[in-house]
Amino acid sequence: MAKQDKQPQHAPDTGHEWDGIRELTNPPPRWWMISFHASWIFCVVYFILYPSIPLVNEATKGVLGWTQIGELNEAVAENDKIRAPFLKQVAQMNGQQLLADDGMRNFAESSAKAIYGDNCAGCHGAGGEGAPGLFPVLADDDWLFGGDIDTITESIADGRMGQMPAHAEMLSPDEIGQLADMVLAASEGKATPEQFAQFNDIGCSGCHGEDAAGGVINDLGNGAANLTDRIWRFSNSREEIIRTISYGVNQEDVPNTRVAIMPAFGEKLSPEDIKMLAVKVHQFGGGK
Amino acid sequence: MAENVSSEGQRYNFTIVKWFSICAVIYLVVGALVGDIIAWQLAFPSLNLNEYLSFGRLRPLHTNAVIFAFGGCTLMATAFYVVQRTCGVPLWSDKLAWFTFWGWNAIIVGAVVSFPMGWTSGKEYAELEWPFDIAIAIVWLSYMGNFIMTLAHRKSSHIYVANWFFLGMMIMITYLHVVNSLAIPVTMTKSYSIFSGVHDAMIQWWWGHNAVGFFLTAGFLGIMYYFIPKQANLPIYSYRLSVLHFWALMFGYVWLGAHHLQYTALPDWAGSLGAAVSIAMIIPSWGGAVNGLMTLSGAWHKLRDDYVLRFLVVSLAFYAMSTFEGPVMSLKTVNALSHYTDWTIGHVHSGALGWVVMVSVGAIYHLLTRLWGREIYSVSLVNTHFWIHTIGTVIYICAMWVSGIMQGLMWRATDDYGNLSYTFAETVVAMHPYYVLRSVGGLLVLAGGLIMLYNVVMTIRYGRPQTASAQH
Repeated sequence: MAKQDKQPQHAPDTGHEWDGIRELTNPPPRWWMISFHASWIFCVVYFILYPSIPLVNEATKGVLGWTQIGELNEAVAENDKIRAPFLKQVAQMNGQQLLADDGMRNFAESSAKAIYGDNCAGCHGAGGEGAPGLFPVLADDDWLFGGDIDTITESIADGRMGQMPAHAEMLSPDEIGQLADMVLAASEGKATPEQFAQFNDIGCSGCHGEDAAGGVINDLGNGAANLTDRIWRFSNSREEIIRTISYGVNQEDVPNTRVAIMPAFGEKLSPEDIKMLAVKVHQFGGGK
Repeated sequence: MAENVSSEGQRYNFTIVKWFSICAVIYLVVGALVGDIIAWQLAFPSLNLNEYLSFGRLRPLHTNAVIFAFGGCTLMATAFYVVQRTCGVPLWSDKLAWFTFWGWNAIIVGAVVSFPMGWTSGKEYAELEWPFDIAIAIVWLSYMGNFIMTLAHRKSSHIYVANWFFLGMMIMITYLHVVNSLAIPVTMTKSYSIFSGVHDAMIQWWWGHNAVGFFLTAGFLGIMYYFIPKQANLPIYSYRLSVLHFWALMFGYVWLGAHHLQYTALPDWAGSLGAAVSIAMIIPSWGGAVNGLMTLSGAWHKLRDDYVLRFLVVSLAFYAMSTFEGPVMSLKTVNALSHYTDWTIGHVHSGALGWVVMVSVGAIYHLLTRLWGREIYSVSLVNTHFWIHTIGTVIYICAMWVSGIMQGLMWRATDDYGNLSYTFAETVVAMHPYYVLRSVGGLLVLAGGLIMLYNVVMTIRYGRPQTASAQH
């Protein structure tokens, strides 16, 4: 070859032809060959640095001493270094003290953000707004069991399962209808003394209190709802109120009963996590 | 039949190629349709209407439809076409070829029934239950046997490079499929893998990555090696390059599966082995892209008005890009961010939509003119398809890049106290706009598929007969 023609298309072919296709004898581009060799050299270097080659009993460890569990532990330790002193205090302080201390309260809220989001928000909403008729609002000042920090902590740790008996077989449809009317009237502060009298006679006041203001205001600790405000655990429609009175709440073997169970998180979350969660829930605005 | 005879007067079985090609176009539309439905379901979960049409059941239908129905039919059409033309002999057995055709389609119909019913082995890209796995093995062997026997009867002394890739793909897929599908049947619709724990995961990803590496890469490189020089009417740039990158891919690819299991119970050494070999696969992969692109050197003007060639060439650009991206993602530090995020989905689709679909579409448009001896009904619709598909693909990939990287960063973000900054639900909310964008990208791809289907049907029915000189 006297003068190399640099045009790749002018290189000689291999002498074969398939369906009109020929192959030229160009060498691979120089950069490609260099990179090609660099590739296997890279592998060799990588194999020396990192655990890579399985031997009889165990694999080579690599000169860097890297392990994936080691990398994880280091990353976790970095965060734990900041968190540890706070967590130590959380363990020693009670809920009241956490709320009172600005620094600790901020830490608790920051810490509980993801815990709340991953465990609670599914039912109670990202901002504690609840779900109408299904899951209670946490961001208002209306509480079934109590809005003080200790009671909130208890609700999270042990869960809650309020009970209301089914009245369908104890009362006549008329009586249930009258009670529903009373409950609707009470929510607007318009229930008459006669209605209250019937409410007491039937025994509703046993749980909801003679003033129908519920378990928290009457300090009964039974989870009975306040019937004198316009906040509804299930619904404000007359039909739905009749259903609640007729079939109750969490009644075994009653098909139409309301199911209202707050699961216990005591075994899933640490006591510190629960304490910090309680602070977050308290700080939604309705805490007492 | 004129179209079954080459210009040298050789009789070929092109009827089987025609049928596989038509199936491929139909399955492209079906696969894209199901894919776009599940994309909308991710953006708006209320679109999960009932258990049969829920994301969990439609997703394997989408992946199997695009990989095995569309990709499989494309590979069968092109391999049967290329092996005949480059060997100068007809298929070894027409009957066996029809067995492959009907068998493969029967399995696809089986998949359409069994995934919505919830019959699944739970192995990604190998969800079909054991009776189907056996059927796949048999039909696949019929495909490979016919291909090998046709090669054995070839008139040329050497085997053309496209056929190396097809054959490599067939051999590897056979043993990958068989080993990964080993299971103990319990009922007709349920079986349990004979591997357990991390072994099962490793076998699963050994298969999973090589479904990509051999089925979707080696096989489609075979397509590239025939259709680019043929469509451009130019010789392959470098024989030596094709030898080097062929063997490097064959030896290297099988080691990659472990990079899917970084930071799991998989031993450290297996993960780093997978990552290192992944990096070493960039250059061999680029060997294919370089060889294809350099084939066109000095003839780039052909791209200006040859839309079919444009599909083939742009596919190589996407191929080079995603074979760079994948190895980078396999490195531990990058993987720690990218794993389990939408970045992975974006990466897969840059390979699937950019490389596999585009090279297939280019090949099928090429086949359309050669098999039916007609001019394409509407060349401008091919151009429309090219742009709509390219834009859809780019929208899809970009949406998933942003969504995936954001997702990974949000998961690991901590505040000044070392506490997690975001809840899981907040990351889902942040991804929503990109999910919508991805669905729009998918819709464009689907629209492109429909345009192609229309063009194919119209070409077959009303296309102008080709002049003799146009046919090579």
